[in-house]
Amino acid sequence: MNFLWESFDKNEISILILLTIAYSLFFILPFKFKREITWLLMLLGFTIGVFFDFTIGGGLIDFFTLNDTNHYELFDFCYYLIFAPFSYFFIYFYDMFNIHKKTFIFYILLWVIVGVSMQWVFTKIGIVEFQNGYKIPFSFAVFLTTQTFTALYYEHVRSRFQVLKKN
Amino acid sequence: MAFTVFFVSAWLIISIFIIMPKRLTLIENTFIFLTTSVISINWTWIINEELKYVKITEDPTNYAGFLIFRSLIIPTLLMVQVNLYNASTSVMKKGLVFTASVICLLLLTILSRALEVSTYKDWNLGFDVVYYVILHFFSIGVCKILRKSTRNEVKHL
Repeated sequence: MNFLWESFDKNEISILILLTIAYSLFFILPFKFKREITWLLMLLGFTIGVFFDFTIGGGLIDFFTLNDTNHYELFDFCYYLIFAPFSYFFIYFYDMFNIHKKTFIFYILLWVIVGVSMQWVFTKIGIVEFQNGYKIPFSFAVFLTTQTFTALYYEHVRSRFQVLKKN
Repeated sequence: MAFTVFFVSAWLIISIFIIMPKRLTLIENTFIFLTTSVISINWTWIINEELKYVKITEDPTNYAGFLIFRSLIIPTLLMVQVNLYNASTSVMKKGLVFTASVICLLLLTILSRALEVSTYKDWNLGFDVVYYVILHFFSIGVCKILRKSTRNEVKHL
């Protein structure tokens, strides 16, 4: 059992590249949210990634393997870290484009397509391997649930707190 | 049976959380729920699947009970505990809340073994006690750090 990696090849390199791009963009974009809101959005994305992966991607259900093996490795953790900025950007642009009742469904659908497309790319570069009858269209259900939940949760937080930094 | 027991327990603890007067904000409660669920999920995976210290049932309905315990009951109970802990005015009351919450998790763990959801291999209840106590301290720490960080940000503005 190796806690670092099974073999350091294209999927590990791809995760490093994706992490670099995602976190570079995170630091390049101006910080618009208050610190605790930024952390909250990052943590929400990370936790959703961990929750779904350990629930449907492991244990008895085990619909997919990450990074060539069912064992927990350093790069599995790095993979979950990608979900943190994904969630942050989702809300960042949600706020930036002032998404409202009429545009809500289109915005969610757009991000669901982005999410499912990313997962398809992950299968092509070997980060994720489906098994036990899981197919990529099933991911629509996962992303629709998570993106809708994240947006509604943000609306709830925004209705009760000052979320943006004061200029 | 295990599914019903854990489902009812989850319903009960979530209901208690919903109706109780909250001392923490929505953001603080969310932070506690998210951080403790990440730890709970990772901890159970490492102990059960990687180190094989505990064997988890292969019966689908009982396994659903295990998932409810791991991902819903533990983080929600910790949220309830931190709210009650912060509402307590004396050290004695804080200690009672802390102890009662740890005992609740231990009883559910014992129930989990009795209903054959989990079977100890190279593990014992003492290790679970240590884990739950650390998890409780961690949840209280998350709340304190968050409050301190928010206060500092207000000072800087």
